[in-house]
Amino acid sequence: MLRAVPWLGPALLLIVAIVAFPVGYMLWTSTRDLSAYGQDRGPAGLANFRALFDIGELGTVLAHTVVWVVSVVLITLVLSAGLAQFLNKDFPGRTAVRMAILVPWAASVVMTTTIFYYMLDPDVGIANRFLVDIGLLDRGYGFTKQPTQAFLVAIGVAVFVSIPFTTYTILAGLQSIPAEIEEAGRVDGAGPWQRYRYLTLPQLRPAIAVATVINIINVFNSLPILQVITGSIAGFSADTTTTLTFKLIRQNQQIDTAAAMSVLNFALIVVIIAIYVKLVRPTRQVDA
Amino acid sequence: MKRPLHRLLTGAALATGLAVAVASCGFGSNDSADSDTTINFLAPVYSDGATGTKALWDGIIADFERQNPGLKVNLQLESWNSINDVVRTKLQSPSTTPDILNIDAYASFAGDGMLYPAAEVVSPQVLADIQPGFAKNASLDGTQYALPLFASTRTLFYNTDLFARAGVAAPPKTWSELTEAAAKIQALGDGVSGYGLPLGSEEAQGETSIWTFGAGGDWSNGGDITVDTPANLEGVRAMRTLIDANATQPNPGATDRKDVINAFIQGKVGMIEGLPPTIGQIAAKNPELKYATAPSPTKSGQPVTLGVADHLMAFKKDGRKTETIKKFLDHFYSASVYANFVKHEGFIPITQSGAAELAQDPVTKAFAATLPVAKFYPSNNPKWAAAQGAIRQQMGTIAQGADPAQVLARIQEAAK
Repeated sequence: MLRAVPWLGPALLLIVAIVAFPVGYMLWTSTRDLSAYGQDRGPAGLANFRALFDIGELGTVLAHTVVWVVSVVLITLVLSAGLAQFLNKDFPGRTAVRMAILVPWAASVVMTTTIFYYMLDPDVGIANRFLVDIGLLDRGYGFTKQPTQAFLVAIGVAVFVSIPFTTYTILAGLQSIPAEIEEAGRVDGAGPWQRYRYLTLPQLRPAIAVATVINIINVFNSLPILQVITGSIAGFSADTTTTLTFKLIRQNQQIDTAAAMSVLNFALIVVIIAIYVKLVRPTRQVDA
Repeated sequence: MKRPLHRLLTGAALATGLAVAVASCGFGSNDSADSDTTINFLAPVYSDGATGTKALWDGIIADFERQNPGLKVNLQLESWNSINDVVRTKLQSPSTTPDILNIDAYASFAGDGMLYPAAEVVSPQVLADIQPGFAKNASLDGTQYALPLFASTRTLFYNTDLFARAGVAAPPKTWSELTEAAAKIQALGDGVSGYGLPLGSEEAQGETSIWTFGAGGDWSNGGDITVDTPANLEGVRAMRTLIDANATQPNPGATDRKDVINAFIQGKVGMIEGLPPTIGQIAAKNPELKYATAPSPTKSGQPVTLGVADHLMAFKKDGRKTETIKKFLDHFYSASVYANFVKHEGFIPITQSGAAELAQDPVTKAFAATLPVAKFYPSNNPKWAAAQGAIRQQMGTIAQGADPAQVLARIQEAAK
């Protein structure tokens, strides 16, 4: 056992350095009394958590977070599965189309989001200009200026930037399925939907599982999209726990409350992933 | 052969692990060249371009270093968006803490005993030259800790073309005149708004203060933060009246200050509360715009407005750089250097000698009348930061239908 330590040591050290230490440090900070400029003024006990749970909107923010993660991940998965199926077919110009799908992934998220934000601007955005010019609206509509509408726009943008990665993961899964299975289904007289549902989908389980877990983590922690689109909207009606943490630091200058929020955020993501793994059991082997 | 190799590997992994641990937490990292004759100066960018903030400071520093051989000033500029984060990171260790910092709020540093009293870092002449109201606003418990850099107040900017087209003869003095004029301008249609009301999270506290001060309200009674008061409620209700009269731009609760200023410059808004740099922006972006300025309308017509000053402050650390800091700040506040800086940034001077030198400047002319009636944020109250953050977040919800009284109560709660 001890003889393995020199060989495992570096890996263990790395895990301690990049996982255990930050987590421990985060827990420790959440119990400190910090000034707006990060000066440690001594222990705070659970006061930071009390301040956090005193925020009246915390419940609705949690609800938004659930809506945000579930809707973005689900819509992304469904669209990506369709897209991957399409890209798996052999057709002229397939490489070009595959490349084009990568573009939103290659661009910075802030950049992509900012472009959407300006397109939808009520006064200067081309989307609104178009709607005004064709006479549908008298004056630009504030798609990004009202909490609910802006939140929906943000979900759309998040789906848009999540699709490339998800599509490619599922496409990789599709390509690893032997052609004989599909053929066998055809010979046995299964229709296209039956073949997809009972032959392709079970084979895709690992790929979809990877895509889902990574998307959940990504989407849950995503700050830039909501920050750019809903950042200037007053109140917390378009916030998730991640943007709330950001607002606590930037606007309220309450680093200590934000530290408590980070702990809650961390606990949430662990619970969400645990529920997902328990319910869906993505690692279960395909029944032979 | 085997053992040294694996020791080497372990060593390398250990070093990597440590480096990762250190780097990932932002510890360490020294600013270069830290000696008694070198000052590290951190400042925000007020304006870009060839005559912008960077060029101004570079010029001032070059002059200073020429006149004081051996002394050196390292300038670091940050955008207003990021400077608070940079300061937060730098203050984690004395070796990275700037010697001089230019920012708005000084009270939390002063309260933690990190700053030099102003009297130790500038000569008595400079101290006496600062206008008394601003010196008082830079003091905590009777000791002045910060040096006001320049002032910014608000005043009503109105588009004289739109006023003429809507048949409004004179700028409004009271809220009821304001609402009436704004409604008439809004009725012109064509995407024109009557009054630009920025209650988005960027700077809602600024606009709100103009209204609450206009009802005789205040954010502090000297000791406590007082948000939820009848006078403040009257101010917030007046904003709500304007919103309900449909006389503002759409969605005031999600509009940042820069948006209404830009819309005003494009001639799309009848009136806004403008700042000193707005004059320069109009001259640069749309010199054709026909506009004038007038005192901010209030409930009774008695003028009052919001005054804001940014500050220079010097961090004490081990106290060895006092002389160098003093030489640099004295150089900066000398009448010609200071006046040139303020003039190019387009703000209002806060030293008497600077004001005398800029008497003919268009910005100083337009805003001089506002200085005596300017009221400040209670920025030396440690709870103000929380109250201000809550105002930024919550005030705009009155445009989404929230009850003004409830919003004020909630902000008061946040400032507990």
